[in-house]
Amino acid sequence: MRQRQSHGILLVAIIAAHVAMIAPAAADTPLVYATIEPAQITLGQSAKYTITNLGNGTDSISLPVVSGLAFQVLGRTQQFEFVNGTMLASTSTVVRVTPQIAGIFTIPGITPKAPPLVLQVISDQPAAKPLGPHLANAPVKPPIFSGESLPDGVRLTPDGSAFIRLTVPKREVYVGESVPVEIEVGMRSGFVSSLNGLPKLTGDDFTLNNLSRQPERSEKLIGGIPFVLMTWHSFLAVVKPGTFSLGVEAPLTVKIRTRPRRDSRLDDEFGDPFLQNLFGATVPKDIDVSSPASQLTVLALPADGRPADFHGAVGEFKIATDISPASAEAGEPLTLRMRVAGSGNFDRVDSVMLEHLEHWKTYPAKSSFSASDGFGYKGEKIFEQPVIASNPGAQTLPGLSFSYFDPTTRRYETAHSSPLSVMISPALAERTLSPAQVSARAATAPAREFQSGLRPDHILAGDSANSLIPLYLRPAFLAVPSILALAFAGAWFGTRRRGQQYSARVRIGPRAIDRELAQMRAAAAAGDSAQFFHSARGAVQRALGARWQMAQDQITAAEVHARLGSEGEDVRRLFALADESKYSGHDFKVSDFARWLRVVRLLFADEKSL
Amino acid sequence: MGCQASAETPQTGYSAAALYNLANSYARAGKPGMAVLNYERARLLAPNDPDINANLRHVRESLQLPAEPHDWFGRAVVGRPAVIAWLGVIGLTIVGVSLLFRRPFSGPRWLRSAMAVVGIALVGLTVCNAVLIWPKLHEGVVIVAGTSARVSPVPMGDPLFVLPEAETVTMTAEHEGFVLVRTRGGRIGWVSQANLAPVLPRN
Repeated sequence: MRQRQSHGILLVAIIAAHVAMIAPAAADTPLVYATIEPAQITLGQSAKYTITNLGNGTDSISLPVVSGLAFQVLGRTQQFEFVNGTMLASTSTVVRVTPQIAGIFTIPGITPKAPPLVLQVISDQPAAKPLGPHLANAPVKPPIFSGESLPDGVRLTPDGSAFIRLTVPKREVYVGESVPVEIEVGMRSGFVSSLNGLPKLTGDDFTLNNLSRQPERSEKLIGGIPFVLMTWHSFLAVVKPGTFSLGVEAPLTVKIRTRPRRDSRLDDEFGDPFLQNLFGATVPKDIDVSSPASQLTVLALPADGRPADFHGAVGEFKIATDISPASAEAGEPLTLRMRVAGSGNFDRVDSVMLEHLEHWKTYPAKSSFSASDGFGYKGEKIFEQPVIASNPGAQTLPGLSFSYFDPTTRRYETAHSSPLSVMISPALAERTLSPAQVSARAATAPAREFQSGLRPDHILAGDSANSLIPLYLRPAFLAVPSILALAFAGAWFGTRRRGQQYSARVRIGPRAIDRELAQMRAAAAAGDSAQFFHSARGAVQRALGARWQMAQDQITAAEVHARLGSEGEDVRRLFALADESKYSGHDFKVSDFARWLRVVRLLFADEKSL
Repeated sequence: MGCQASAETPQTGYSAAALYNLANSYARAGKPGMAVLNYERARLLAPNDPDINANLRHVRESLQLPAEPHDWFGRAVVGRPAVIAWLGVIGLTIVGVSLLFRRPFSGPRWLRSAMAVVGIALVGLTVCNAVLIWPKLHEGVVIVAGTSARVSPVPMGDPLFVLPEAETVTMTAEHEGFVLVRTRGGRIGWVSQANLAPVLPRN
């Protein structure tokens, strides 16, 4: 029977290609046709879908859309063909067709008048047994259904082409509990074109885990009729208590007869759906197959006896802990692991591990989950927490605990682990080893390049420092320059203040300066040398006395020489001229008066600037 | 022989010779990190000791670690910190005296100026020495081979790069048992305190 189907596919492809090629060419219109080869492949393989356009090759061609099939354009080629003695340019587009699930797929015609193409995809699982004429005599597994009456939970579509069934192991579940379920879609061979989507729950009260994994495929006889069965394993969860209706549905494309049943009796006896397609006995139709609704009671988790560290885990779990490495240095991070294994809602399995442990620094734990059943109901969740010991010595980490609700025993359980011991050695930088101890430990160390060529050790001189901090940065030492600086600053300010007070007493004001200069000018105008130089000396003595903070009569030529050196030559000469004019009566010229008047004025100018 | 002699000496404080001998022992024991650490500590007490500098350079070159840049200015002003400290005090005293006795002092002005210059120079020498020593006080030495520098101060932080043992780094911050370090190449990352020893001991 299977061989006959293959021949039928080939015959359909050849006839369709010939009809499609000849008729449009005769009509002198662009001819477009498509072929697919091979027509039957195994899941995981790809078929070549070729679209040939005779005539105007610039026409755009849209790829067909078939649920469950992926189309990918590989390339385009151009060539010339003779059709009925006419040479036509042809353009071929090669498309890779990759099935995503097993089944029988109908690819719509490339033009409205073109016939559809059929691609049969079989599963590569060894459990799948091919259907064929020998099936009746071959030893097959007993059908899951037999006879006219179907088991509970199974309802065929009105035309008997498909069914869907949801298997839930129990009717009472708890909030948050993960319940493993099985969804089975049965499709009558030859009557279902394709499965157009994944099954989904009909109610909003439940959530179904991801169904993207490849379903199991098998073929069974149900009531003597062969069915292709697609089976998904998953688990559902519910978030609120109550009694809810639960069902499942899936979208299908089935073939509907277009001729009276009596006219298609031959087709049924012939049993080849592809010939039915060819001669227009059926048309495709999209339907949703659904299961009968069933009731599921959801219970709230009990409030009594709920552990403080319960985070919502519902199932059956066991824990184990370990730490690595088993010995480390103080300050070196270690990894504390807790493994939670079992079955249940692993998305709610959580633990904070250790918190605020004395002499330990703890960090937030991170977790990873690995499923053992392929869909996440059974597996192992590993929590890893970095911890750092601050003190050396034998340390003990307390045992960990994990609380969950066991739906079988209907009570909360807390799993405990044993305390863990770890040996912490002092950090390398903190060890106070002598050179001899270091040398003794080095006996077993492998030789390295830098171990030779070192200069010899020093002989200890006995001088040592209490700290490696430089002396000038130690607070105790800093007190010395600070006190010195403060003392000097205080003395300087005190001296300056006394000087200012004295200067205030002896300082010559601007009016006094003007008065002195006026007296000198008057004496010069009168030609009185003695008076002129007497006034000049008095003015200079007052000015220098104010500057040096000395009494006026202490400003002598010798003092001026000691303080000013050669710079005080003019002052000393002025003092000498004053004595000379006073005691000798020597008269001076007007130019001399002008010169010494300038000298005194300059001296007063300096005094003003102080 | 030196090792045994230094081992018999009671350790009442830090001695440049004792630290140098300890560093030599670590170097011979194949622990370059601890060797470099103790050479650096010995240099704080005796910066111009040729043996300390030679052995430190030898270990670094053997490990193909980057050598210290040649710094003529640093060599000029770096001396024994204790001596430098007292020179600074003397300089401060000279400056203070020259300022304090400027008015009543009847000597020549150039002498007072010379005293002030000498005092300021001594104080400046101390300040320069402190400026050069200061970064050393914030340096650390990697004492564990293959130390990972991480992007954040947590054990599970993503590693940025790996530091070789005995590399000297600058410590810029601390957080929860981790130190933010900057290498001489300018790379920055967090290193576990257990893998790093500061040149200036914490206690």
